[in-house]
Amino acid sequence: MVKMLNIVPEKCTGCMQCELACSWVQTGSFQPSRSLIRVNVFDEEASYAPYTCLQCDEAWCMTACPVNAIGIDDATGCKVVSESLCVGCHLCTIACPFGTVFTTPHTDTATKCNLCGGQPACVTTCPTDAIVFTESNQAGDWFGPWAQKVDTNHLSAIGGEQSAN
Amino acid sequence: MATHNLIIGGGPAATNALETIREFDADAAITLVCDEPAHSRMALPYWLSGKIPAQHTHTADDAYFKKLGVQARIGERVAKVDPATNSVTLSGGDKLDFDNLLIATGSAPMSPPIPGKDLPGVQPLWSLADTQSVLEATTGMERPRVVLVGAGFIGFIVLNAMFKRQWDLAVVERESQVLPRMLDATAAAGAEDYLTSLGVGIHTGTTVQAIKDGGSGKSVELDNGTVLPADIVILATGIRPNLDLIDGSGIETDEGILVNDRMQTNFPNIYAGGDMAQGPDLYADKPAIHAIQTTAVDHGRVAGANMAGRQDVRYPGSLLMNIADVCGLQCASFGYWDDPNAETMAINNTAQHIYRKLLWTGDQLTGALFTGDAKDVGMLTDIGMVKGVLQTGTPLGVWKEFLRENPFDIRRAYIGAGVAQKLVGTTLTGRPARPRQFHFGGAKPVASVGQAHAAFMGTKPG
Repeated sequence: MVKMLNIVPEKCTGCMQCELACSWVQTGSFQPSRSLIRVNVFDEEASYAPYTCLQCDEAWCMTACPVNAIGIDDATGCKVVSESLCVGCHLCTIACPFGTVFTTPHTDTATKCNLCGGQPACVTTCPTDAIVFTESNQAGDWFGPWAQKVDTNHLSAIGGEQSAN
Repeated sequence: MATHNLIIGGGPAATNALETIREFDADAAITLVCDEPAHSRMALPYWLSGKIPAQHTHTADDAYFKKLGVQARIGERVAKVDPATNSVTLSGGDKLDFDNLLIATGSAPMSPPIPGKDLPGVQPLWSLADTQSVLEATTGMERPRVVLVGAGFIGFIVLNAMFKRQWDLAVVERESQVLPRMLDATAAAGAEDYLTSLGVGIHTGTTVQAIKDGGSGKSVELDNGTVLPADIVILATGIRPNLDLIDGSGIETDEGILVNDRMQTNFPNIYAGGDMAQGPDLYADKPAIHAIQTTAVDHGRVAGANMAGRQDVRYPGSLLMNIADVCGLQCASFGYWDDPNAETMAINNTAQHIYRKLLWTGDQLTGALFTGDAKDVGMLTDIGMVKGVLQTGTPLGVWKEFLRENPFDIRRAYIGAGVAQKLVGTTLTGRPARPRQFHFGGAKPVASVGQAHAAFMGTKPG
């Protein structure tokens, strides 16, 4: 079974070191705005959670690509963009329903999490083990209970009602 | 005997269908007939702009067809489909029998009734040959003057390519705004203002009366009296489905070939997909033609799975979406973005051409429009999340009011409403998608990391 990034939102302190590490190893510069992992900040309830590509089964980015520039890496099983094959049509950035495919501005090519080729820097740098790289297919499960908690907390903070999802 | 699957076409619906048939049925016989080499029409503008070579637009070659066991008849054309005998007739006279047929013939540019449309240097920019001809015609010209007739999505993708080549550009559009099928009047006004600031001539609400050739160049005469000089005139006034081959066949059509959620026509063993197929739409109450890449891919995969015997693969419907880089201004639209009855929230920064509009029915997002600087990495990072919300049809409850105050913070509404959870584990064909097996130059995508990664990991204890 391939290893995946699993997120433990309860352990995330919102320190943003994963964003710094990711932008450094992926772009060679410290620009959190170009990080491929993004920490969701819910300040009102002091909740935080990193979020990046789930390496989903349907791979909407990969099937959408008109020039087959997105494939599956043999070693890690991750969906990966070939910068040399990408023509810069941006279709994958709107086809991915998770919002985890981005554009690199100066090359005008798509970019996404490639699990750092099997040694994800976000996992290495996280001081609280909120991101772990394990052989399970649990990725995504954290969205459910955690999202519901955030939703409830947010609603009570603003005095609203539970959304009907 | 193996089932014989015949595919007509060489675009995304066709290539995705053949890969899916092969994925589900190792023994099926597959024949593909296409009058052009299999290629990506979407990639042609990047060849035109000089970013990639011509071969990079191709999506198949002999070795690929051989590897997948496909009998490819490239350069041939199907003249007639006969459902009664389960056969097709090629324009050269050959007859081919089939068990299953996929019609994926795509669309073709319309030829507007303009005097002078047949002059040399006046052409559509749609095919491999069209692109080649524009590149040849402009070779050696210092700064070709181009008039683009039609300011739709396809025209603007081409416009962006020519802008990168720093050509002298003018646009003529019959309707009162650019991108009428993709932007509302407000967003279009921003795009027009932006293009004008770049020196692109914008002529909306006017039509071309005639194109004339005076020897030293062409002139494009508009009905408002303006005369535009041109070396090249590109006609991009719309596309129409390629349906000639089914004339008199009994295959049911409306605007295109009508298909059900398995991509079957009224003949169960005849399927259709792509630009000429009118199929399920997530946000319309009747079948629609979307003529976009993502819909063609989905059609091809659903048709392929069903042709290979997986009669349980059903298509939930396509989501209309477009993204166009308008010379540096990124424009995107999703879903039912032009719903006249929707409740709307909009934010408009005219100085920076940033526009964002969300359309609602109750607490459900049903459409969205975005424009913003293509180089602004913060601007469009949540754009895919909008697609996720629309695709899952997730009611956003109280997050709707949150978005009214914070239209740039879709991320939190997305997480809070649990959208990702609904998407994880869903697949179109019942199994994980596989990468297509052709890559230009054999360059299979591989996960690689740079020196920064090594330097970083080197600072961390074991």
